[in-house]
Amino acid sequence: MFPGIEPLNPLLLPAQKLTLGCPVLDRLLRGGLPVGSVTEIAGESAAGKTQLCLQLLLAALLPPSRGGLSAASLFIHSEFPFPIRRLHALSSSSSAADPLGHIFVAAAHSPDDLLSLLATADGLLARPPTHLPVRLIVVDSIAALFRSDFDNNPKDLKKRSFLFFKIAAKLKEQARRFGSVAVVTNQVVDVVGSEEGANGQRVGNYASLWSSGRRVCPALGLSWANCVNTRLFLSRKDEIADDAGSSRTRRWMQVVFAPHLPEASCEFVIVREGVSGIEPQRVAGR
Amino acid sequence: MSETSRFRSLEGGHGALKGAQTAWDMLSEEQMQKHITTGCEELDAILGGGIHCKEVTEVGGVPGIGKTQLGIQLAVNVQIPVECGGLGGKAIYIDTEGSFMVERAHQIAEGCISDLLDNTAHRLKDFPACPEILQPNSFLANIFYFRICSYTEQIATINYLEKFLEEQKDVKIIVVDSITFHFRQDFDDLALRTRVLGGMSLKLMRFAKKYSLAVVLLNQVTTKFVEGSFHLTLALGDTWSHACTNRIILYWNGNDRHAYIDKSPSLRSATAPFLITGKGIRNATSHCKRVRMM
Repeated sequence: MFPGIEPLNPLLLPAQKLTLGCPVLDRLLRGGLPVGSVTEIAGESAAGKTQLCLQLLLAALLPPSRGGLSAASLFIHSEFPFPIRRLHALSSSSSAADPLGHIFVAAAHSPDDLLSLLATADGLLARPPTHLPVRLIVVDSIAALFRSDFDNNPKDLKKRSFLFFKIAAKLKEQARRFGSVAVVTNQVVDVVGSEEGANGQRVGNYASLWSSGRRVCPALGLSWANCVNTRLFLSRKDEIADDAGSSRTRRWMQVVFAPHLPEASCEFVIVREGVSGIEPQRVAGR
Repeated sequence: MSETSRFRSLEGGHGALKGAQTAWDMLSEEQMQKHITTGCEELDAILGGGIHCKEVTEVGGVPGIGKTQLGIQLAVNVQIPVECGGLGGKAIYIDTEGSFMVERAHQIAEGCISDLLDNTAHRLKDFPACPEILQPNSFLANIFYFRICSYTEQIATINYLEKFLEEQKDVKIIVVDSITFHFRQDFDDLALRTRVLGGMSLKLMRFAKKYSLAVVLLNQVTTKFVEGSFHLTLALGDTWSHACTNRIILYWNGNDRHAYIDKSPSLRSATAPFLITGKGIRNATSHCKRVRMM
């Protein structure tokens, strides 16, 4: 059944990364998102998750010399509507020919939808309809797929957990087989109560994660956390900018856990051209 | 051990026998040498010298606590030359989750080599093969890497190792990262799952004893709602609990990473702090200032 079992020299493993489209953010991630791996981007609504995903779809089209994969992408969305206008606006500054023709979009309404889409994606990955292979798969978001179907009783949680592992195993197997990047966005839930609760369990580099003044943690619990290789957290904070009382939004990307990255964070902004990291200020005398 | 203590009590009255060893002493000494350092002295200490060969050790913990870091560290440290107090062995790394990153393994190998050159320079003077062996790429080439994408592939690979280990006698550690990931999907037949996991663990235990190597199984944690509160428990715990000789849990103590011995035939329960640095797993410093080399 597995005639090809053979050990590999790790030096021969693919080490390619997909740029985030911003050199500052790339530096935070040591080049970008790794192929053959599942990266989760968690954050509250309007934290910038989808913006970042759109940027990745366009970055994938770039040649490897510019941090891209020379590849088309598959975007599976469970949140509606799909931001086609924003994507179109971003694509106008893309150097690739016909970027929108190389981005495949599909909608998923349930975990089973997602699984059957991923099964179909095998065909897309193996025999791409365009001349470019598909090497980026984005799921936005995983949390929305599990919102309505499951109750909080142990039996349903168990059923839900089985699906997490099935989905993750499929994404990882595709990522490995086709040398692709898998990105999954996730929402956050409020952390209520003491540290001893299931949600209070510390996962990763930060004792607690904050956004918009609330203590939060990525949705879908410890089970799902076990399913991703890298977890990035996007947060936002509205601040009073000056005496006139006008407010501005500050945003951060944090590495919650990753097998190849130390704890680190980076501030970023969302502008017309997309998501852009802010170079950390050098403190004089260091 | 009781033989030894009986002999020792006699030693006082027999001057001519002073300095002699019992056969038990020699045997335990011989057995005690076969362990792999974790890179953290305190962790090695509570482990009785390091990860033991001829035994199966389970390492559990939440995502991000450092299981893969420890797995890679051990796959590197098993290669520390005999001249420097190591086993000079090779490693098998079975990656079931895609967590093994070459760039990180390279950093850890670099870190190990740099520490060897700093700390054992006197021993390396007489070591002619030094420059070629003490290269990160040589260390990486000594890791036999397998990437697993399904539970059937996992079974097939472990069966494949049967023949592989016969031919590759230098292998002194097998790391499985993680052992349970592919078994956490829905199995129509739970009894089958238990049988498969049980069969796998027995095989690995056999490899450990037959080839005198260390088997390290990394495992995920899950929450169990017991008597009104949540408890952290190792995944598929009930099917595993008998299968491992030792169990180490990695956990957060405030902002610090710690390890504790959860199960061991000979070691008492103890905890040790450790750090994950740019060079790999290292001692935790006791002062406030942490040396983190990125």
